[in-house]
Amino acid sequence: MAADEEALMWVEKYRPKTLDEIVDLRDIVQSLKAFMRNPKTMPHLLLAGIPGTGKTTVALCIARQLFGDNWRTFTLELNASDERGIDTVRERVKDFSRYSRAAFGNVPFALIILDESDQMTGPAQTALRRIMETSSRTSRFILICNQSGKIIEPIQSRCAIFRFSKLDRKAMIDHLCCLAGKEKVTLTPEAAERIVDYAEGDLRHAINALQTAAAYRQGFVDEKIVSQVIGEASPKQVQLMINKALNGDFVEARKMMYELMGAYGFSGSEIVRQMQRELFKLSYITPEEKAELANIIGEYDYRLTQGANTDIQLSALLAQFAKVGVSKGETS
Amino acid sequence: MKDNLLWVEKYRPKKIADVLGNEEAKAAFVDWLKNKRRVKKAVLLHGPPGVGKTALVNAAANDFGFTLIEMNASDTRNEKAINKIAGPATSFVALDKFSTESKGNLLFMDEVDGIAGNEDRGGVSAILKIVDASQVPVIMAANNPDVEKLRPLKKVSALIRFQPVRIPLIIAMLRRICQKEHVEAEFEALERIAQNSRGDVRSAINDLQSLAETTRVLTLQDTMALSYRNRDISMDETLRTYFSAKSLLEASILLSRSSVDYDDLLLSVSDNLPRRYADVGELAEAFDLISQADVFRGRIGTENWHLLKYFYNYLAEAAAVSTETYKPFELISPPIRIITLFWTKGKRTTLEGICAKIGQRCHVSRATAKNDFVPFLKIALERQKSSPLASWFKLEPEEVEFLAKMNKF
Repeated sequence: MAADEEALMWVEKYRPKTLDEIVDLRDIVQSLKAFMRNPKTMPHLLLAGIPGTGKTTVALCIARQLFGDNWRTFTLELNASDERGIDTVRERVKDFSRYSRAAFGNVPFALIILDESDQMTGPAQTALRRIMETSSRTSRFILICNQSGKIIEPIQSRCAIFRFSKLDRKAMIDHLCCLAGKEKVTLTPEAAERIVDYAEGDLRHAINALQTAAAYRQGFVDEKIVSQVIGEASPKQVQLMINKALNGDFVEARKMMYELMGAYGFSGSEIVRQMQRELFKLSYITPEEKAELANIIGEYDYRLTQGANTDIQLSALLAQFAKVGVSKGETS
Repeated sequence: MKDNLLWVEKYRPKKIADVLGNEEAKAAFVDWLKNKRRVKKAVLLHGPPGVGKTALVNAAANDFGFTLIEMNASDTRNEKAINKIAGPATSFVALDKFSTESKGNLLFMDEVDGIAGNEDRGGVSAILKIVDASQVPVIMAANNPDVEKLRPLKKVSALIRFQPVRIPLIIAMLRRICQKEHVEAEFEALERIAQNSRGDVRSAINDLQSLAETTRVLTLQDTMALSYRNRDISMDETLRTYFSAKSLLEASILLSRSSVDYDDLLLSVSDNLPRRYADVGELAEAFDLISQADVFRGRIGTENWHLLKYFYNYLAEAAAVSTETYKPFELISPPIRIITLFWTKGKRTTLEGICAKIGQRCHVSRATAKNDFVPFLKIALERQKSSPLASWFKLEPEEVEFLAKMNKF
């Protein structure tokens, strides 16, 4: 892959290349820069925070800062949720630390970036801990996760931990406006607000929405266009599935659930999360009913973690929705 | 490739080390054979079928040089028959030693829980007498050690429990067999065969062989036939009786008698439930119980089998939510889940491939690519298939077409 071929997705194109380019996150950047001055002292790092707050960006900046243009040669990027278990991770780390043993300049190690590391099971993390130990002379790890609480203590204690908090509205809006300026896109203030509302603190999501909206009418983005994009990009199938269920049509709703799992490969917890999100957008039920349904979702979300068959738990959840929907129809 | 050997025979473990899984049970058995025979004269190996009880006994006889005298369920085991075979085997130790290189006899009685009340009259007490008088090791095997009539045997025996063999071990073994038999198999196909076996190695090998009869290249698609074949009459019968049960008690009794696989049963019940309960209130209640049953299935995992009774209890309750509303209906088969996964595999694989490409470009996982990028990319490609984004992501024309045409999720 050519290293600096011009990126077309804005999230990549405008991803900061150096720590200096990162405007927010001042505290984090300051302490990281201290490590950069004398890389030998750099410990393993654990970057924790919700999606779209700059964790991967920071990790990539560190790689560039350490190794310059050759960063890809000395950096192994892994994603825990994509790898087939800890054995693959172990193999890849082993292979990598073997061939990149030659140190680069005054950096005596290679870098391993492990994204979504909180997706690993307890035993897998224990194995990871051993890998970190055995390869510590040749490698440094940057672990990235959403919740540091899901990382086992022994790993946490071996890392310097940095917490990334949700970006605030103003910072997000500034980013979007700055980006729109560079792309010569007219972005109305209301449209920017609307995108930020939608993105819920996830800058990546916001930038993707902006880029898609900008393609609608030759670089003019107002609130109407944003609403249209958000409408089109939001999970249709899940909405339809909820509607069917609340209408009492359990069989159809279940069919759609199987479609989501089968054709799109969504996991049970992903579907439940989307249901939770879509539920609150529904206009035809009262806040009390939403609360009741949210409780039901919560119960089944929990059972999903306990049970053996995702589809059975989701079916049961849809059946509860059908019941609530129909009893509501009868009273009104 | 087609010698007429059954693979279960051909690949029967020759040495103890070759017996798959159940390391603790293996160690306990060897320990008994070597050291503990003074303490307990007999041993009872118990656990579900196909997990290696018989295989271990055969392999141990091989390793230690015993001659195996076997009796299994197919022989009648009343007192007379048992004495006829087992009597000489257990007493003439010395004679055998002269005539062969054998270290002695090993008496093995398989499926002792199958000793029936009437036909095998006096069977248990005959075994007891033999254990008492025997000078050679007596080994028994049973699926269910909790049968009342086995109680006296359990008193004089060391008990060793076998568990279902772990799925990854079975997959690895199926793989080895495939290599030796020159069968090319998709990982998913072997995975499905292994899962379908629920830790029963024998049935997994049998399934593999029967599937490989027809093709040398085994795909996931080929394994779809498995679920059809396993859905024998007894499943349909069980379901019919289950749904028409007139009381909770009736449903419970049925479940305790039925021999169908509980995982298949759970899925089939879930599939058919909407046909049984037309009223959404009843349906919701029944599904709540099914969901609880599934929670217990999850807690059982591969070892806590004592929880199985709670699983069955919830399942029985789901049949009895409203007994008076039962009307006969046509059963859905085969399982919806398997059919859906089968028909949608192409779509799923294409989407996975696209997400992997996005992940490479934008440093995100496939899951994030699917949730955060695909919806936007789809809008862009819908409006303009020649969008430069397509080539930047290195998408093939088919993939662009797929994204533009697919339903929004």
